[in-house]
Formats: sequence, C-alpha cells, structure tokens
Amino acid sequence: MIYRRTPMSRRGFLAGASALGIAAAARPAFAQDAAFDFGEPMMDMPAPNGPLRWLDSGDQKGVFFEPFLAEYGQARGIETVYDGLPWSEIATVVPLGVRNGSAPDAFTLPLDMPPAVAIDQGWVQPLDPYIPDIAEWRAGFPAGSFVEGINMRDGQTYGLPFTSDRRSSCLLLFGREAMALTEFEPSPENPLTWDQFRAAARQITENSGGQIPGFIIGGAQVNRWRDVTLQMASRAGAHFGMAGFVTGFDYTDGEYKLNSPEVVGAVELLLAMRDDGSVFPGVLSLNAPQARAFTAQGNAGMILQGPWNVPIWEAENPDFDFGFTWTPAPEGADGRTYTNSLPATANMMFLNADAQNPAHAAEVFRLMGTLEGQTAWANVVGPSDPAIFPAANEQAQMSDRSRAVIALQEQQVRATPVPYSANTGFVEVARLFQMPTPDIAQTVQGLFAGQLTDVQGSLDTLNQAMSDALDAAIEEANAGGANVTRDELVFADWDPMTDYSG
Amino acid sequence: MSTADHDIPAAGPRTGLGTRLWAHRVDYLFLVPGLVIFGAFILWPMLASQYYSLLDWSGFDSRRIFVGLRNYRELLADEFFVAAFWRSVWFTLATVPLQMLLGLVLAVILNNRLLKLSAVFRTLIFLPVVTPVAVIAIVMALMLSPFNGPINDLITGAGLVQRAVDFLGSPQLVMWSLAGIYVWKWTGVTMIYWLAALQTVPDELYEAARLDGVTGRQVTMYVVMPIIAPFAVVIGLISAISALNVFPLIQATTQGGPFFASEVMEVFIFRTAFAPPSGTFPQLGYASAAGVLFGLAIMGLTILQVLAVRRTRRKEPGHG
Amino acid sequence: MADATMGRTARAPARREAMVSPRARRTITSVVLAVLCAVWVYPIVWMISASFKTNNEIFGDTGLIPDAPTVENYARAWSEANIGRYFFNTMFVTVGSVVVTVIATALMGYVLGRRRFPGRGLLMGLMVFTLFIPQGYTIIPVFELLTTAGLGQSLWGLMLATCGHSVVIFTLLFAGYFAQMPKELEEASRMDGVGPVKTFWYVMLPLSKPIVVTVVVLQTLQAWNDFLLPLVITLANPDLRTLSVGVYSFRGEHFIDWGGMNAASAITIIPIVILFLFLQRYFIDGLAGAVKG
Repeated sequence: MIYRRTPMSRRGFLAGASALGIAAAARPAFAQDAAFDFGEPMMDMPAPNGPLRWLDSGDQKGVFFEPFLAEYGQARGIETVYDGLPWSEIATVVPLGVRNGSAPDAFTLPLDMPPAVAIDQGWVQPLDPYIPDIAEWRAGFPAGSFVEGINMRDGQTYGLPFTSDRRSSCLLLFGREAMALTEFEPSPENPLTWDQFRAAARQITENSGGQIPGFIIGGAQVNRWRDVTLQMASRAGAHFGMAGFVTGFDYTDGEYKLNSPEVVGAVELLLAMRDDGSVFPGVLSLNAPQARAFTAQGNAGMILQGPWNVPIWEAENPDFDFGFTWTPAPEGADGRTYTNSLPATANMMFLNADAQNPAHAAEVFRLMGTLEGQTAWANVVGPSDPAIFPAANEQAQMSDRSRAVIALQEQQVRATPVPYSANTGFVEVARLFQMPTPDIAQTVQGLFAGQLTDVQGSLDTLNQAMSDALDAAIEEANAGGANVTRDELVFADWDPMTDYSG
Repeated sequence: MSTADHDIPAAGPRTGLGTRLWAHRVDYLFLVPGLVIFGAFILWPMLASQYYSLLDWSGFDSRRIFVGLRNYRELLADEFFVAAFWRSVWFTLATVPLQMLLGLVLAVILNNRLLKLSAVFRTLIFLPVVTPVAVIAIVMALMLSPFNGPINDLITGAGLVQRAVDFLGSPQLVMWSLAGIYVWKWTGVTMIYWLAALQTVPDELYEAARLDGVTGRQVTMYVVMPIIAPFAVVIGLISAISALNVFPLIQATTQGGPFFASEVMEVFIFRTAFAPPSGTFPQLGYASAAGVLFGLAIMGLTILQVLAVRRTRRKEPGHG
Repeated sequence: MADATMGRTARAPARREAMVSPRARRTITSVVLAVLCAVWVYPIVWMISASFKTNNEIFGDTGLIPDAPTVENYARAWSEANIGRYFFNTMFVTVGSVVVTVIATALMGYVLGRRRFPGRGLLMGLMVFTLFIPQGYTIIPVFELLTTAGLGQSLWGLMLATCGHSVVIFTLLFAGYFAQMPKELEEASRMDGVGPVKTFWYVMLPLSKPIVVTVVVLQTLQAWNDFLLPLVITLANPDLRTLSVGVYSFRGEHFIDWGGMNAASAITIIPIVILFLFLQRYFIDGLAGAVKG
C-alpha cells in the first residue's frame, strides 16, 4: 500500500487494522500513556536536507511508520515522506531509484535480493558511522538478529532487523461456529492431527449442508500451496529450508527432501480433502486476501494462514468468533516449522548509500532497536509482524488472543542454519540458482488441479531437478571464483527442535 | 495511395536524392514530432530489450554477463514457453473475431440517430472498458464463483448443469472464461472503431437507398458493409495486438494458473522477469529473449498468412 | 476507395418492410438493448453498490442493495488516494499527452498516407515491425532515457513517455484514413495559395475527426490508467503522483481495502465516463457528412 502524509487518512484504516481497537484515536498508541518520547537526539544532528524519505512494503508497516515518522519529524524538525509498495513494484522502483538518485533515505531491498548483492552494488551504506553506541545497541537484540552474510558484512552493520520471522503463515485458523459442527475442540494446547483436520473439514461441510465448506486456501497464489505443504511436512518431522535455493534442503545431511514421505503425505492430505468435497469450491481462482475474507465471513470453516489475520479480524469482524492452533501434524509427530533466519529479511531496512538525511534515518533505525521503539511497534502491529525483542511483545498492549498467537509461534517456529554465514560465496550460488519449473508450489497446485496425477513421481522429478540445479549453480559460482562446496551446507550439529545458533 | 501523390514538383528523370529530399522538406518537418516519440519510447526500448535478450541479467544489479544466443536456445527447449506461445495465439484467435462481430453489430444498431437512448447505451457498453482490471477481477471472481455465484445459481437453477462449474479454476475452462471476460471488457472499444468507420459512409447513400425503397437491413448489408469492410483489416489488427495485452486481467484473476493453464506469453514474461519463485533471482535477459522470439514468430505467422492470401488471389481468374 | 464507394451503391430490389412501423421497431430495439445493457453493466453496478458497503459486507452478502449504506469508503478514498491533489496531475498528463499524441500522429499519418517521400517504406516497415514485439515488460530503457534527458522526475517527462504507448497504431489509423481522401482537397487549397501547415490544420485535420476522436478516447484511457511509469517517475515527489497510483494505495500484500478500492475506482472512472458522453456528440453532430439514419 502506498501511505501518504494526510493526517486524517490514517484514521479509518487504523481503526480497522490496529490490534488495539482504539478506533477513535487520531493516531496509534505508540506508548501506553502519552506521546512517544523521542528523547534527546543521539548526536549533533545535521540540518535536514529535504524530507526524510522511507520506503517499505506497506501493510502493517505503513500503519506504524507513516505516523511514527511524522511524529519523529515533528520532534526533530524534519519533513517526512512514507511510501509502502507491493513487492513487484519495489523490485523495479528501488533499483531505478538508486540509479538515478531518487531512492529514499531508507528502503527495503527487492524481495529476492540478498543484502550482500546490494552491498556489493554500493546501494547501501553501513550504519556504524551514524550510531555512536552501535555495539551496545546491537547487544540489546536477541541472539541471531545480526547475521554475517545477511545484515552484517566484515563487522559492519547494514540491515535493521526490527521484526522477528518467528511466524508461521500456516497456523490453523477456524471459526468457532463452524468448528462446533464437528466433534473437535482444537486449541493451542490441543492441536489437530492430519486425520482430525481432514475429518473436521468433512464434518463442517456435511453438517452445514454444504453451506460452509470445511477448508479454504487462496489457491490462485501458488506460494500458498508451497507454504501449506512444506509447513505441514515440517510438522510431520521434515526439517529443511523454506525459500530460495534451500527450499526443501535438509541441512543435516545436505540433500533435498521434497520427495520425502512427509511432503508426499502432506500433498496427499490436501488431495484427500479435495476428494472429500470439503475444500471451498473455486479456490484455484481465489487469492489469499479473498480466501481470508470468506473465512472471516463464516463462509468457510478453516484456513491455514498467518498471525496477521488475528488483529484484522478482531477489529473488522468483531462478531466473528474464531480460534487458532498449531499447523496440523500427523498422529504422533510434533515437528517444528522453519524460517531461514530469525530476523525477517523482508522487513529489514537499509540505509541508502546516497541518503540525503542519513543521520535522521539512522536515528529512526536506532530507535527501532530500543525497547521503547520495539514496544511502540508491538503496540500498533501486535502479532502481525512480531517485534524482535521478546520483552516488547510481553509488555505491549494487545489482545490475549494476539499474545497467545505470538506464544504459540515461539514454540512452533525455529530458525535453520544460514548458508551465507558458512561461506559468503553462497550469495553467488543464490544468484545463479535457477529454480526448476514447475517448482514445489506449482507442482502442488498442478496436483490439486488434476493436471499432474502422480504425486510421488512428480515430487521425485522435482527433487532431482532441485539437486541438479544446486550443483550447476555451485559449479558456475566456483567458475566465477566463489569457492564453495555442497558439503559446507551440511550443519551436522543442528538440532532441528532448536534455533540454529552457529 | 499513389493517387494522392500529386505534389512532387515536376523534375527531370535524373533528379538526385538531395533534390528529392529537399522537395519533401515540409513532409520531413511534419514527421519530426511523431518520429521523436516513436524513436524514444517505442524503438529505443525495443532495441534495448533486444540487447538485454543477449545477457544473463537479473534486471536489478549491475552484473550483466553477455551470453550471446544462449537465452534463445534455452527458450526453444522450454516447454512452458512453447505452451504459452500457443496459448497466446489461441487467445487471439478466440477473442478477436467475436469482439469484432459483437462490436460491429452494436455499432450498426447504435449508429441510428433516431434511437433516442443510443448515447446512453453506448456509454453503458463502454463502461467495462474504463473499469479498472483490479475491480473487474474481484467482481468476476464472485460472479463466476462455483460457491453461490450468481451465474452458477442461474445455470444450476435452470438445470443446464448438474454441479456448479468452476469457470476460473478448471484447467479445461479457464481460457474460455478469461476470453469471455476479455471480450466483455473490451468490446466497447471495438464498437468505437466501428462507429468511427460508419461515419465515413456518405449521407447521400442512405438517402439514395431510401428513395429506392431499400429496407434498413438491406442498406446495412449492401450499402454500409462494403464501405466499412476495408476498416476491418485495421480494426482486426488493432484488436489482435490488444489481445496480446491480456496480462493485467490474467494476473489479477488466475495469475496464469491453475498450473500454467492460463499462462499466456505476457504472463510467462512477467513470471520470469519480475515474479520468480521466492528467494531466487529474476531473469530479465531470458524474459527479454522470450519477448523478442514471440514477436518474431508472430510476425512470421502474419507474413505467411499474407503470402497465402496473395497466392489465392493471384489464382482467381480476372484478377489484375 | 472513393470510387468504390460510389460505384457499389447497391440497388437492391425494393421489398416492402414488414408490418411493424419503424417507430415500434425502434421501441422494441430499445427494450432489447436495455435488457442487454442491464446484464452487461451488472458487474459494474455491483462495484458501485460495493463501494457503499463495508469490507465485511462485500464478501458476506453479494446482493446489490447494501444493508447499511456507508459513504465512509468515499471519504477514505478521497483522502487516502489523495484524489484532490492527484486529480490535477492526472489531468495535466492526460490532456498534455492527448494533445501531443493527436498532433504528432496526425502529422505523421498524414505524411505517410499521402506522400511518397524517400524513406517512407523504411519507416512504415519499422513501425509495423515494432507492432509485433510485446512492449512494456521493462521500463528500464524508457526510464534511463528520461533520466538522461533530465526528465526522469518531472510531470513533463511522464507526459511525454505516456504518449509513446500506442503511437504506431494511431499513426497507422491516420495514415489509412488520409490515404483514401480525394486529392482535390489539397489541390483546392494550393490554388487558393494556402500553405501546407494551414492546409493540414484547417482542412485535413478537421476532416479526420473520427480518427481524432478515437485517438483521444484511447489515449485518455491509456494515460488515465497507466500505473508503473507514473509511480517510478514520481517516486521522489509524491506531490506529482497520479490517480491510478493513488487507487493502488488500497491494495497491499496482505490486506486489500475492497470498499475503498471500489470507491476510488468509481471516483476515477466518472471523469472518463463524462468525457465519453460528451465526445459522442462529435460522432453524431460534428462531422460534415453526418449520418442521418
């Protein structure tokens, strides 16, 4: 979304989006009692050189940063401009903006771009010169927030890791009215098994006379098929990377596991639910926002979706009584789901190498890495994009349900090892890796739609293609002087039930 | 066209190029504004894309590796490219004739000045043209939904089908459904083209025909049609080229799915250039090559068609 | 062309029209059309109705009449999409690009359609060639060019680049139209001692009104709906943004403000609809040889 600096424009949306239900407030409550205290400037601030400009991917970030930056601007006497754009636009806008000097002071990188590439390109600059107490500041973050090869390079700090990626985009969310049609009472303490999940979907559909299909998914968006399949497989006990060239890559033995029994089982579960007739008709042409809207309307019983739904539904659908629980796991299994790194790289902010107001941007970065800034964030955004400081989530104002969602994700989500910290040469591999077509997302969609029929066979083909693509990328990277081996991707010391801590 | 070529000053047969250029100096002056726009915003980006097609380049970093024709070789072996190519051809052949016919019928009816509400009708038919695709995508997903969608309610209620039809989710139906939505959205423009063409029919012909006691339908068939028929070529060409731009509609509805069933060429290009699988790099070079190859192939098909038409014409007896 | 027109006037056998009077026939036609149009615009009526619904109701109740109509979507659309401020920018880009496009393509079409100048074949070939290559999948070269010209961050640059989209099609339309006009038109003006520029401006351009109107409508649509180019060019200057960029503010990765988007869409299509209604009169009244039915 593109948020603009019209003071009144935010109110309507805030009323809808804020977890706090402070519908009438003219601004979000950054702090519990009064206005956010920006304190003394961290250093002798230079005079503003034009407005302080900030660009990220919008949504909840816009709800927070647009007014937050405006207040910061008032406190420091600088005009601020906030823009939130969809990823497809950021991919064009940021590189072009950098090239002709119109890029904002602070921005997120295109979704697929390893920060190391931006650093090599000279797009961004380190924060170290602008944050006087930077070592102390970094120490305030939880372990794993600053990763060499991601937001650190040669001991210099580049990216601001202000949100946690300890999120699952496939929690089981359900309407209680629909669930009452079944024999199950799922809750965070009482998750559903795969069999129960399937039975619940069938019972909802049948007992509502077909008026409430049991399960819905935004199936036009292929990434939903990937997330649902891989996270259910992870809960079954598979443990692997979730995106990019490590999608389905098992760090404990260095092999792809996209044709493992866990993945096959997850796909077959989806197909069985389809054959039961308990999947919402027409999911293949629904995108995720539409699927979520149908759920909140009570038109579908269950959805596998992320925590960001919780505050939205609480505010926009106050009559919708809903619960949530873990991503379903097979009987007897209790695996975790995985993120490629603890800080959410998609939210990470970088400082433009040619920033007009680098000191001001850096000061906002610094504020976002204090307990006060983190709490202000958590107050507004809640569980949608959890603050990276656990203490901030604990002391922030949010509904019990929101707090419980964060707590559940603390248990369910674990960080995998990071290839770039083993060898920064893997940045080259990431650049050169050519994802096979169809990839895992498209394969699962094809199986669900019926264009592909052989589950095991399709996944075998895919797994081999992934492995070949990795070998080819490594070979090509080495030809360019990267000096990496596939063995370096094996982290034998990783316990998949815990975060990899290096 | 040569009949209009009357203003070349009388000159000897040995007129040099310089003289001829000078003789046409006003013409060249007239061309300047158009040439500037054409060169800057059509020709130059196209040539740049052709250069990109020889690179291994993501489009967002400064690493551009020259790979020659490698992208083209890989494309020819890429089954998804080939499938997307034929899907685009199919889509054009499915939509253009329908759109032209529908537009023509509407234009002929609404060209009648005595039809009091014709201006209103034209505007109504034109409305989908100006409605943003993002909105159309939402509305159509609901209209065509197999779950309580009005169209499915209608056809199941009338007993035409047993079970609700998944218009946009069925691999067999999705292209037909998109073609329908596309024709609905853009027929208004085709109608405008035909209306513009109809304005070239001289008034007197209608009068003359009426005095001869010819019926309205006959006037249309025997008087109007022959006059506006030549416009069909231009209108068909424009419609065909527009049909290759179905991208926003498909991206907003099925995103090329399910499982590539509606992936036309532009969706293929977008997917490789801007929307790669999460965590991998886009391939702008490869996408550019796809664009160039697609263009060349379409041009080849068109030339073949023109040649075929000429050949059949030549065989016709009595043709000059 | 002109010859064919006159020569082929069909002298079809006179047959009495059916029993129905012309007036009654028109009434029947109107009723049929009204029904057709009602079906045709149903989805758009739905959009307008949805713009008065809460986001909740849009997916809950697909009926046309909102339970509790609200204008909040419009208030939000107006401020969020910054319609007031962006309206002027959009008008500037649209009007500017329409004027430039019409003049440039009419001039070029006129010369291509009526003159045999050296290089004509080459230019025609080049233009037709570009028709086939898909455009617009990368704006990188366009943007780099504008930046080099110092127009990368100005409304003028945006306006000029917006002219580029369909310039070939428009030129070919004009060329085809001018090519079939009788040559006496120009000869008459030459006799009167009128220069080529004046001949074009006062004689030829007015005669090509159907094409002008077509180009105006299509170029307006183009300029009005263009999104990525305005976004990139106005990135550093939010004050220069256009309506289509504003409407986008209702779409996020995770959240879509359906009601706001419908309302903003309704607001932005109103000027186009009015323009269209207005321009239609040119179809009907403006032409010298207007059709009288």
